[in-house]
Amino acid sequence: MKVNDCMKHKVFSIPSSATIREAAEVFVARHIGLLPVVDEDGKLAGVVGLRDLLTLELPDFVNLVPDVDFVHDFGAVETTRPSRKELGQPVTVLMREAVSVVEECGLLRAYALMLQHDVHDLPVTSADGRLVGVASRVDIGTAILSYWKSLEPMKK
Amino acid sequence: MILAAILSSLIFLVSLWLIFSEKLNRTITAIAGAALIVGLGKLLGFYSEAEALAAVDFNTLGLLLGMMILVALLEPTGFFQCLAVWTGRVSQGRPVRLLVLLGTVTTVLSMFLDNVTTIVLIAPVTILICEILGVSTIPYLIAEALLSNTGGVATLIGDPPNVLIGSSAGFSFIDFLVYSLPVVVVVWLVALLLLRYLFRRELAMRPRNAKAVKRLNPAEALNDPKTARRVLIVLGAAILFFFVHHFLHISPSFVALSAAALALVWVRPDMKKTLERIEWSVLVFFVALFVMVGGLEASGALTWLVGILEGAAGMPPVLFGVLVIWVVAGLSAVVDNVPITIALIPVIQGLGAKGVNITPLWWALAFGAGFGGNGTIIGSTANIVVVSLSEKTRTPITAKLWNKRGLPVMLATCAAASILYALAYPLF
Repeated sequence: MKVNDCMKHKVFSIPSSATIREAAEVFVARHIGLLPVVDEDGKLAGVVGLRDLLTLELPDFVNLVPDVDFVHDFGAVETTRPSRKELGQPVTVLMREAVSVVEECGLLRAYALMLQHDVHDLPVTSADGRLVGVASRVDIGTAILSYWKSLEPMKK
Repeated sequence: MILAAILSSLIFLVSLWLIFSEKLNRTITAIAGAALIVGLGKLLGFYSEAEALAAVDFNTLGLLLGMMILVALLEPTGFFQCLAVWTGRVSQGRPVRLLVLLGTVTTVLSMFLDNVTTIVLIAPVTILICEILGVSTIPYLIAEALLSNTGGVATLIGDPPNVLIGSSAGFSFIDFLVYSLPVVVVVWLVALLLLRYLFRRELAMRPRNAKAVKRLNPAEALNDPKTARRVLIVLGAAILFFFVHHFLHISPSFVALSAAALALVWVRPDMKKTLERIEWSVLVFFVALFVMVGGLEASGALTWLVGILEGAAGMPPVLFGVLVIWVVAGLSAVVDNVPITIALIPVIQGLGAKGVNITPLWWALAFGAGFGGNGTIIGSTANIVVVSLSEKTRTPITAKLWNKRGLPVMLATCAAASILYALAYPLF
C-alpha cells in the first residue's frame, strides 16, 4: 500500500495571497489542523498549522518558563485577541516549509517523517509538485495496522 | 618594534569592530584574534606561548566559574521563578509597584550573581506576569536590564568588569562596598526615577486582570525546596567569606570555587546537566581576550596609549577621572565592556608605573564600564537578552525604543556618577 491509497483526496487549501483571517475561517469551517498553501499553479508552497495561528493568541513566552503548572489562572492572556492589523497580514508570514511526500511514498517512510518532524498531517503531492491530498497520522497508522488482518492468529 | 605594535593593534581593533557589528560571534572573534596575535608574536618574537598562558587571569575565571556552578544548581529548583512570582503577588498588580519590586529584586540578585544569569532567570517570569496582568512587558524588561547593569557595579562579584578590576587592582569585596556601593545606591535611584518618568504613560494604564496575579502561589513555583535551601545556604556562606576574604588571605576565586565544590558534594546533581548550564562561551571569550590583550601589551602598543594618557593626566586629576568615566562609558555602550576593561587594565597599570595615582582611575573604569552598557541595545549582554526575549512577546523592543529609553538612563547615570565621583574624589 502507498500513501495515495489511504490519504484524503478531498483536500482544503488556500492561495498564498490569502490573509491570516481568511485562513482562520477555513480552519473553523472545516475543523482541521493543517492547511496547505498553494501558489497559482496549484503547487504546494508551504503549510500553516492551527498551532501557527494560535501563536497570535498565545505567543511563545510560555515556553520560556520551565513549567506553568503553578499558574492556575492565565488572567488577561485568556482575553487578549490579535489586532485587526495582525489578522489582515498575508498568511505567508506564518507559513512554514511543508513536510510533504509524493503519492508513491511507502507508509512507513511517511510515518517516520511524521514522527521525526513532529507533525500530524502530511500534504501529499504529485510528482510535479501539485497538491493532491492530505494523510493524517490516523490515516497512515490505521492503514499500517490493517496489514495485520492478513497475519494468521497464533494457535493456542 | 613599531611593526608589531601596529599589526597587533590592527588585530585588536578589527576584533572589536567584528564584535560591535555582530558580523562574527564574539567568542569566535576572540579565539581567532588570540590565535593571530600569538602567531604574530612568535613570528616577530615579541610574544611567546608561555607569556600568552601567563596573561590569562585565572582568579577572574575561577570566580566566574564558581558562581556559575552555584547558579546552575539553583536554576532548576525554581527559586528565581518563585521570587518573581512573589514580587508579582506583593505588587497586587499595580504597575509602578511591580516595576519597583521587580527592579529591586533584579538589582539585589545581580549584585551577587552575574547580570546575564539574573536576567535570563527573571525576565521569562516577568513576561508571564505581564501577560497575566494584560500590560506591556516593555517597561519591566528594559528596567530589569538597566537596573541589573547598574546594581552589578556595586560589588566585587556583581559584573565581569568589577571582577577584572578587583583582581588586577587588588580591591577586596569590602573596598567595593565602601567605594562603589554608595555611588551605586544614588545612581540606581536616579535610574529608577528616570525610568518611572520615561514610562509614565505605560505605567499609568490599569492592568486588565489584576486578580489573577493575586492567585499566584510562590510556594508552588518552587519545584525543589530542598536543593534550593542547600544551595542558598552555601551561597550565603560564600558571600560571608567574600566579606572577609582579604583578612583570611584567600582569593575570591578560591571562595567561589570552594563554595561550588561544597554545593556539588551536598546536592550531588546530574553533573552533565549542571555543566550544560555553565556559560562556557563566556569563559572561553575571557581566556581568548586575556591572550589577545596580553599580546597587545607585549607588542608595546599599549605603551603608546599610556604615553598619550600620561600627557592628559597632567590635567586636574578629578577632571581626568571624570573623562575616563565618560570615555569608557561611550566605548562600553558600543562595544562589549569586557574587552574594553581587559584592554584598559594594563594601560592604567602603566600609568601607575609612571607615578600617577591610579586608585581613583580604577573606580572611574568600573563606573564607566558598568553604567555605559545601558546606552544601547547591544551595550551589555543583559540588554541583548531582554531584547531577544521580548521578540517572543506581543511587543518586541526595538533599537529605536532603546535609544529613547535606555540612552537617557545611561546619560543620567553617568552624570550622577561623575558628580559623586568628583565630590568624593579626595576619599578614593
